[in-house]
Formats: sequence, structure tokens, C-alpha cells
Amino acid sequence: MLAFFAVIFLMDRAAGSLLKHFYYKQDSGFDHSSTYAMDKTTADILVLGSSRAVNIFDTKLFSDKFNGSCYNAGRYGEPIFYHYAILKSALKRYKPKMIILSFDAGSFSKSAESYDRLSVLLPYYKNHPEIRPIVTLKGPYEKLKMLSSTYPYNSLLLPIITGNTTFNKAKYANENGFIPIERNFAGSLQTFDYTKELKLDTNKINTYKMLIEDCLAYQIPLYITCPPYMINAIGIDSSISKAIKIAAEKKVHFFDYSRDSFFTTKPALFADYRHLNKEGVLLFCNKIIKRIEDTK
Amino acid sequence: MLFNSFHFLFFFILVTTLYFILPYKIRWLLLLLASCYFYMAFVPIYILILGFTIVVDYFAGILIEQSLLKRRRLLLIISLVANIGILCIFKYYNFINDNFSFLLTGFGLSNPIPYLNILLPIGLSFHTFQAMSYTIEVYRGNQKAERHFGIYALYVMFYPQLVAGPIERPQNLLHQFREKHRFDSDRVFEGLKIMIWGLFKKLVVADRLGIYVNGAYNNIEHQDGMTLLLATIFFSFQIYCDFSGYSDIAIGTARVMGFDLMTNFKRPILAKSTGGFWKRWHISLSTWFKDYLYFPMGGSKVSVPRWYFNLMVVFLISGLWHGSNWTYIVWGGINGFYLVFAIITKKYREKFNAFIRIDRSPRLFLFTQILTTFLLITFSRIFFRARTMEEAFAVIKKIATFKGSIFNDGVAIIIYSFLAISFLMIVELKKEYYTGSFTLSNNKNFWIRNGYYASLIFLIVLLGVFDGGQFIYFQF
Repeated sequence: MLAFFAVIFLMDRAAGSLLKHFYYKQDSGFDHSSTYAMDKTTADILVLGSSRAVNIFDTKLFSDKFNGSCYNAGRYGEPIFYHYAILKSALKRYKPKMIILSFDAGSFSKSAESYDRLSVLLPYYKNHPEIRPIVTLKGPYEKLKMLSSTYPYNSLLLPIITGNTTFNKAKYANENGFIPIERNFAGSLQTFDYTKELKLDTNKINTYKMLIEDCLAYQIPLYITCPPYMINAIGIDSSISKAIKIAAEKKVHFFDYSRDSFFTTKPALFADYRHLNKEGVLLFCNKIIKRIEDTK
Repeated sequence: MLFNSFHFLFFFILVTTLYFILPYKIRWLLLLLASCYFYMAFVPIYILILGFTIVVDYFAGILIEQSLLKRRRLLLIISLVANIGILCIFKYYNFINDNFSFLLTGFGLSNPIPYLNILLPIGLSFHTFQAMSYTIEVYRGNQKAERHFGIYALYVMFYPQLVAGPIERPQNLLHQFREKHRFDSDRVFEGLKIMIWGLFKKLVVADRLGIYVNGAYNNIEHQDGMTLLLATIFFSFQIYCDFSGYSDIAIGTARVMGFDLMTNFKRPILAKSTGGFWKRWHISLSTWFKDYLYFPMGGSKVSVPRWYFNLMVVFLISGLWHGSNWTYIVWGGINGFYLVFAIITKKYREKFNAFIRIDRSPRLFLFTQILTTFLLITFSRIFFRARTMEEAFAVIKKIATFKGSIFNDGVAIIIYSFLAISFLMIVELKKEYYTGSFTLSNNKNFWIRNGYYASLIFLIVLLGVFDGGQFIYFQF
């Protein structure tokens, strides 16, 4: 029995070390972007958010306008927990001059998937004690699971392999984390009914509040924006209205473009109902830049 | 409490340790308390429902044994009505009411009967059927009525198989609660190995495939035929690994403590006919229906039309057992039809096979049989997986067009899925056709044998899906 567990222990340690080595050796892909955002970036402007941040906030436009470096630290599918973890690890190293948080409809709604998504932070758990309280939201046994050296890299074998090849580089044009989308909106207009009362997740709301409070404590200008959606919306999304209310209480700017008719009447500016295409990005980013300038 | 959770791991270690420490006489009490805790970890209040059926069937068993003829039959009927009644209230009430409303709407009337806002008690169909098998066996004289209330309660509630089977028979399980199980390291290790393989099937294969299947089936209107075809094939493997994985963990858990539960799966993916498939899939339920429904109806020893009727009834009820939805009934109907069709066409198929001299290529013939069976079963599972009949028909329509590209939300999901299926198939083929050749799992060399299981654990940690959630069959 002891020999059996010794074999498992040795396999776990050996594979964990190997996976760790190649995980941090990646020079492309989403994991690489996360590592860069957590460990390396010293960008003046830091963009946080999900896929809508990644595809919509053109870092070059912000760099040029504000005469400083800009890094888009967004990640596909990630909820507010991830954005806050990135901010916490960045603040441990340096103080950005500006933070832009891209907010999505439904960001505060209860969803088990949001907690599952925290697994992307597992490789950083050991070296980043500041994000541990966020990672442990995933479940009560996460600390125990982290005794394994392999577990942080669960399901990451293939992404690690592709991240160590040229596969991702060929697939995505990455400009400081910004990934533009070239295609045009091709679907039919979907209707979203926001009149039904959804249960909001207090963990997510509290994390959003903490993110704002940390920026205020460090005196970092924070701009929260909600980019437009190409949808037929009935009612107002409860997450957006809650986020606007909290931002107003904390005296933080919230630019809500979720239903801005300038965009929502022009499908040609969208790649799909959630993401603007390159043309839409240019118009939207310039509007945001103008709004930020107006606040100064 | 899910088998694939740390909560269960701690529970299992604690209960097993206490089981071997405590004196034989009070082990039943430990197992009963542990089973209550296990069940109450889901929805605590529903233990009362279980308690009700246990009390009814306990006394019914004793009274049936003491009674003669008509009274004996009456007591059996009371017990069955109580069990089926509970099943009907919690599982079928809203379904029946829904269909009643539909009928009344046809006559321009509204349904005054209210809907019940209740959750289905977890594993209700499983423990109800197990309880029913007890009273039926006592009635038939095959089983003595259990006088010890605690041991009878444990028969219904034994935690490894409480919520998703195997559906045990009293002759197999009840006496085991009185046996003195000594700690046997070989047996413990054997049980643990079965559990590891079950966990592998659940976490590495089923839950991985589930990501793609759920992605496709939850957005049918946005998916192309090719995606839905792939998702349906994946679902066939998913449900097998999900359910047989559960059974393996249940059997392994029981074996660690010295109990033998019945085999529930015998590599159904390699079945050569739909009839053969049902001898390999969910055996504890198939044999339940055979013993308590099919044979009492006359089985195959009746006129041919009546035989077909018997088969159809069994499969339609089997469909309904799975869930209160027309999709399950249609699923059952399709599978019943397969069997009837196979019987009707048997002569013609044999003639055709002789005509094309299929016996000259036995391997090709075998492959064709397995593939055909797999595809037929997979087709019926469209109804099993779809939430409504409309969804099922939409899937079939889209698959029939055979158009579009395969939805790919990250190539890793598809690659992992194919790797998982390949590994599973290698193990299944090895167990089915190459039993005498080189083996990893039962190798005489200590290091090879244990290295294999250590590798499985390592693969679970590396490739398992830890957020996959509950087992599909829990809902039944």
C-alpha cells in the first residue's frame, strides 16, 4: 500500500515540475497572457475584462492617446473574480496609472461556471498568496487539492503543448493582449428578456466592490465601461444596473454603452452580438477615450 | 453527496475505518446511520419518504409471510400501491397533470387540478424498485421476511447503491449484513481498484465528453448537423461511462467493506445486437423488469403477437421509469421496436448473411454487428438526451441534413474527448476479446499492476474534469 502511494507521489511531483516548467515557458496563448499580466506587465494602462475586453479594447489607441503603455489583461470567459486577481497581483508589483474594467451584462448573475473558471488561476496559487482568497472561492477543498503538484495544471496539457509551439501565434494576432475580430455580424437579431428577476451572486458583487475600493485606495483612476450589444433587449440587465449604482456610490465613472443606439442600429460594426469588429472597435475606443479625457 | 467529491472521500474513509473497528453486532447501525447521512446530504426532508416506504414494506413483508392466499395477495398489492403511489406523486404527478391539461385544452376546457411544486427525491426509482423486489420475493416465498427492522432499513438504504443502484435483490444483499466481514487487505485493494476505474470513467471520459455534449444540446438551434451528430455519439459514451462509472464506485465501495453487489454492466458498447445490449446494460434493472414484469406477463411463452406486446410494454415502462417525459417513453418504444423488429427479421437476415457469405469474414461481420448496434442505440439516445420531443426531432432533422462544420470551442475539448474514448475502447476490447493475453490491471508483477492503477489516478488528476457535477442517473 505504501509503495503504491509512493509511486503516485513521485509521479505527481515529477509531472507537476515538468508541467510547471513548460507552463511558464509558453510564449503565446491565453495562459501566457495571464502569466504576463500576473508576473510581468508594468503597463501604465491596464484593461481588465472578459472576451469583450480582449476583442474590443485596442491597446494601441489608448497608448497613443494617453502617451503611455497599455496592456489588455482580459481573458475569454472569465468573470469578475479573475479580473480582481489580476489587479491584486499587479498592485503587488506596481501602480498602474489607469485601470479600465470592461463590464458585461449578467456579470453578477449566479453561475457555477464562474467558479469553475477560477481554475485558470490555479498555476499561480503557490506563488501568489494575494490571490488565494479568490481561488478558494472555487470550493472548500481547493487548499487540499493544491497539495498535488499536478492538479494546478489539470486539463492544461494540450494548451501547454500549443503554447510552446507556434500554433497560437499563427491563430491570433495579439497586440498587447488585444485580439481584433475581422468578420461581420451575420446572425439574426436575438431578443434578451431582462425583465425576469435573476438572483445575483453576492460574492461577485463584493469582488466588484473590492476591485473599486482597491483602485480608490491606491488612487488609481478607474473607468468601468459596458461595451454595446447587438441585441433586442427587453428591460434592463440587473447586473449592469447594480454595477452602475455601486459605481455611483463609490464615485467611479461608469460608461454604459450596452444599449447605445449609435452602435445598436449598425450591425456592420459588430462581429457577433457580443463583440464589435475592427471598425466598431475604432469608433467605440475613440468614444471611451473622449469620455475619459472629458473627466480630467 | 457525490461519489466524485472530497466530501465523499472523507466520508468513505471514516465509515470504512469505523466499520472494521466496531464490533460485528453494531456494524449495521453504523452503516444505517452513514446511509442516512449520505442521503440527507442531498435534501434532508426526503428521508421521511424513504422512511415511509421502509416502514410499509417491513411490515408488509412480515404480514405477507404470515398470511395465506387472498390476504397474502392483498398485502402485496397494498405494499406495491404504496411504493408506486409515492413514485407517481413525486415523479409522475405533474407529467400526468400536464397531459391531462393538454387533453382538456383540446375540448376547450381548462384544468382545475393544481401542479405540485416539488423536487424529485434523488434516486427514488432505484430504492423504490429495490424495496418492491423485497416484498415480491417474500410473496413468492423466495425470501424470508426480515424481522430486524434496522437490517431491513439498511437493505433499502445501503449507501453505496442507494441513489443509483445496482438495484439489488434481497436474496443477494440481505444476508450479507449479517456476515462477519474481516479486514482483508486483498479485498480492500480490489475494491479500491474498481473505484479508481469508476472514477476514471466518470471524471476523465464522461465529464470530459459532457462538456461538448452539453454545449451542443443546450443550444440545438445554433448547431449544425455535424456537431449534433458528434455530440450524440459522444453522449453514448458519456452516459455509459457516467452510469457504469457510478456502478463501479458503488461496487468497489461495498467490496472494500466486504459486500458483493451485482454486476451492472458488461461492456455494452461491444454488444452485437440490441437484444444482447440489454443483457449487458444496466443489468440490475433489465433483470428486474424481466423477473417482475416480463415473465409474469408470459414472456416469450405466449402467442407471437402477445410476445411482441409484452416486449413493447416492458420497454415503454422502462422508458417511463427513467423519467416523466414523452422523450423517455419514445426512447423506450424505439428500443422495444428494435427487439420486435430483430425477431421478425431474424430469418431474412440470416438468409441474407448466408447469401453474401459473411461467414468468410467473421471479423468484419463482428465489427458490422457491433457498429450497427451502437448506432441504433445511439440514435434512440437522441430522445434520451433531448429535453423535449421538439428538440429531439430538431436534432434528427439537422443530423439528417449532414451539413455544416463541427462546433469547436477550443480544439482541446475534442482532442481530449477522442483520447478518452480511445483509451476506454482499448480497455474494453482487451477485457472482451484478449482476456488471456498480457494484462496491466491484473499483472502478476507488483510494480506493473500497481503502476497501472497509480497511472490511472495520475491521469484523473491531470485530465479529469473536477467541476463536472452530478451523475446523470441521479435524476431518476
